[in-house]
Amino acid sequence: MNKEIKGRTDRNQLQGRIDRFARGIARSSEMVLTELEENPDRPNNLDYFIDLMRDVFVRNRWAERFMQYADNKKIIGIYCMMVPEEIIYAAGAIPVRFSGGSYEASCVGDEHVPRDTCPVVKASVGSMYMGYPSPCEICDVLIVPTTCDAKRKMGEELSRHKEVWMLEVPHIKDNEDSKRKWLQQLYGLKRNIEKYTGRGFIGSKIGRKELDASIRVIGRAQYEARRLYEIRKSPMPVVSGREAALVFNAYCYDTAPEWTKAISRLNDELETRCRNGFSVCKKDIPRILLAGCPSVFPNWKIPFLIEEMGAVIVADESCTGDRYLYDPVGVTEKTMTGMMTGIAARYLMPCVCPSFAPNEDRLYRLLQMSEEFGVDGIIYHVLKGCVIYDFELIRVEKTLKEKDIPVLRIETDYNPEDIEQLRTRIEAFVEMLVTKKTKT
Amino acid sequence: MKWYAGIDAGSTYVKAVLIDSDKKIHGYKIAPTGIDVRNTAKILLNEICRDDGICFEDINTVMSTGYSRRQIDVAHENITEIKAHAAGALWTAPEGEKVRTIIDIGGQDSKVIVISEKGEVKNFVMNDKCAAGTGRFLEALARVLELSVVEIGPLSLKSKSPCRINSTCVVFAESEVISLLARGKKPMDIIAGVHRSLAKRISEMARKAGLESDILLAGGGGLNPGLVSAFEDELMMDVYVACNPQLNGAIGAALIAGNSNKPQPEARLKTD
Repeated sequence: MNKEIKGRTDRNQLQGRIDRFARGIARSSEMVLTELEENPDRPNNLDYFIDLMRDVFVRNRWAERFMQYADNKKIIGIYCMMVPEEIIYAAGAIPVRFSGGSYEASCVGDEHVPRDTCPVVKASVGSMYMGYPSPCEICDVLIVPTTCDAKRKMGEELSRHKEVWMLEVPHIKDNEDSKRKWLQQLYGLKRNIEKYTGRGFIGSKIGRKELDASIRVIGRAQYEARRLYEIRKSPMPVVSGREAALVFNAYCYDTAPEWTKAISRLNDELETRCRNGFSVCKKDIPRILLAGCPSVFPNWKIPFLIEEMGAVIVADESCTGDRYLYDPVGVTEKTMTGMMTGIAARYLMPCVCPSFAPNEDRLYRLLQMSEEFGVDGIIYHVLKGCVIYDFELIRVEKTLKEKDIPVLRIETDYNPEDIEQLRTRIEAFVEMLVTKKTKT
Repeated sequence: MKWYAGIDAGSTYVKAVLIDSDKKIHGYKIAPTGIDVRNTAKILLNEICRDDGICFEDINTVMSTGYSRRQIDVAHENITEIKAHAAGALWTAPEGEKVRTIIDIGGQDSKVIVISEKGEVKNFVMNDKCAAGTGRFLEALARVLELSVVEIGPLSLKSKSPCRINSTCVVFAESEVISLLARGKKPMDIIAGVHRSLAKRISEMARKAGLESDILLAGGGGLNPGLVSAFEDELMMDVYVACNPQLNGAIGAALIAGNSNKPQPEARLKTD
C-alpha cells in the first residue's frame, strides 16, 4: 500500500517535471518564433515553417500534424547528417532528425553526461530523457552515426532508453577500405530497416523502384535547397539568415515531400523579390558567413545577435544549414548496387564534418563559399566542448587570412548569460568590417 | 570652437572627457559607475561643462562607449569600446611610439586589439565570460592581502622572488593566496606572482590575436607599475603606458565624435 502510494508520487513528480520542461522549451521557442514573425519584411511563405516549428516545440501538436500525411508510417530518429534518408523513405518509414538546440534540454542533459560535453549532445540526451518535443517520445528506433566522440558515446547512453543502431562512419574518407566498409554498413542498415518495418522476408525487401523513387524525392528537396542557396548569393539580400536557418531546421521535423512544396513556394516568392529589386537590408551592410558548430533551433543566440548588430548572414556552412541538403545522390546505373554505391558516396565523400581527418575539403569549401557569396567576414561559432571544430579554426584562420577575410571566433554554449559580452564582440567585428568595406 | 565629449561607461568606473576641435582635452572626470549609470554619466558631463564654463548645449556630439553604452541617454551616438580604444591609442600613446597592439585591462573584461597605422581595428580578442585576467581579479586578491589597489603595484616591484599563482579563476586564486600566506610567504612576493599570473593569461590572448610591437597598455590596469613590468617580462617586449590609461576609451570616443562631423540637432540632456 505504502509502496504503491510512493510509486504514484514518483510518477506524478516525473510528470510534473516533464510538464515544466515542456513549458520551458515552449517559452524559449516561442520567443524565437515571435521575433521572426515581428519582422515586417518576412516572406509570406515563411509562415509554413514558423507554424511547423510552433507545432513541434510550442503547441505539442507534431504527432497530429504529422500523421495527416504520414498515415501511420514508422518513425525513425536519426542524428547528424550521415544517415541516408533515402533508405528510410524507401522502406516506407519516415526519418526525423534530432539535433538538440534547446537550453532547457541541455540543462537536463547535464545530469546524465560529463560536464565538458558539448551542448548539442547535452540537449539531445536531455530531450530524449524527457520525451519532449514529442517526436522523441514517438519514435522507437534511433540511428546514431559514430561521428565525433560525444555523439558516439551519446548513442551508447541513449541505448538505455531506446533501441539504438550505431552506424560506423569511417573517419578517413579517401581510402578504398573505408569506402567498402561504409557501403557494407549501409547494407547492414538497410537490412535492419527492412526488418524493423516488417519487410524482412524475401519478396518484400526494399526494391529497386522504391529506392529510385525515394532518391528522387530527396533529390527534389535538395534541388529546392540549392535554389535557396543560389538566391542568397544575390548582391541584395532578399531573405535574412535567421529565416533561411529556420527553413533548414524545419526539414528535420517535416517529411521531404511536404517540405519541398513549402520551400518551393518560398523560393518563388524570393525570386520575385530579386526581380523587383526588393531587399531586406541596406545594400552595403557586411555579409557574414556563419561557420563552425551548428546553430540548432531554438538556440539562435548567434544568428540573432549578428543580424541585430547590423550585418546579414548570407551563408551558413554548418550541418543544419547549407551543408545539410547541398549534395545530391549521383547514380550512374539504376541497379540496387549502383544506387547503394551512389548513396554511400553522397553521405561520405562531400561531407566536411570536422570529425573526418584529413578534412582539407572544408577549407576549399569555405573559400569557395566566401567567394560565391561575396562574404566580408566569417563568424566562427564554437560550442563549448566541441574540440574538433575549434581545432580546425587554426587552419581556417590561416587560409582565410591569405584572402584577407577576417574571422571572429565566438565560444559559447546555450546559456544566455554571456549575451552582452558576445554582443560587444560581434558589434565590434561588424564595425571593423564596415570600416574595411567603406575603405575599399 | 566646437566641443566633443566622450563617455566610457565601464563596468566599474564611468569616464567622461571633453575635447575641442583641435583635439585638446578641456576636462575629464572619473566616478564609480554605481547602480544608476545614466545619472552618473549625466552628473559627470554637467560637472565638466561647469568647470570649463560652457553649457551642455555647446557640445556638438556626445559619443558613448563601454559596457553600458546604450544606457547613456545624454549621448547622441555609441560605438563599441574596441573601436574607441583603437582611436584613443593613437592620441594617448607616448610621443614617437607607433602603437600596433593595445592591451586594455578593464574592470570586467580584458581585450587585446591589433590596429593598423591609421588606427583601424585589424583583429581583437576578448577574455571569456569570467573575471579571470581582469581588474576584478587584482581587486579581489588585493583584498585578501588587505592591500588597496593603489598599493599593490609599487609593492610588487620590491619582490625578489615572486610566488607562482597557477589559478586564473578568481575564486581558486583566492584560496591559493590564502594557502601561500599560511605557508608564511611575503605579501609582496604573492602580489608579484598575482601580476605575473594575470600578465601570462593576457599574453596568451595577445599572441592569439597576432600581436605586433609597439604595445600600449590602457585601462585601469595601466596605472599599476607592477603589472606593466609583469607584462614586459611575459611578452619580452617594451610595453608603453598610455597617458591617462583609464581615459583611453573615453578619449577615443570623443575623437570619433569629432571626426563624424554629423550635425546633431537634438540634445537629449534634460536640464534638471
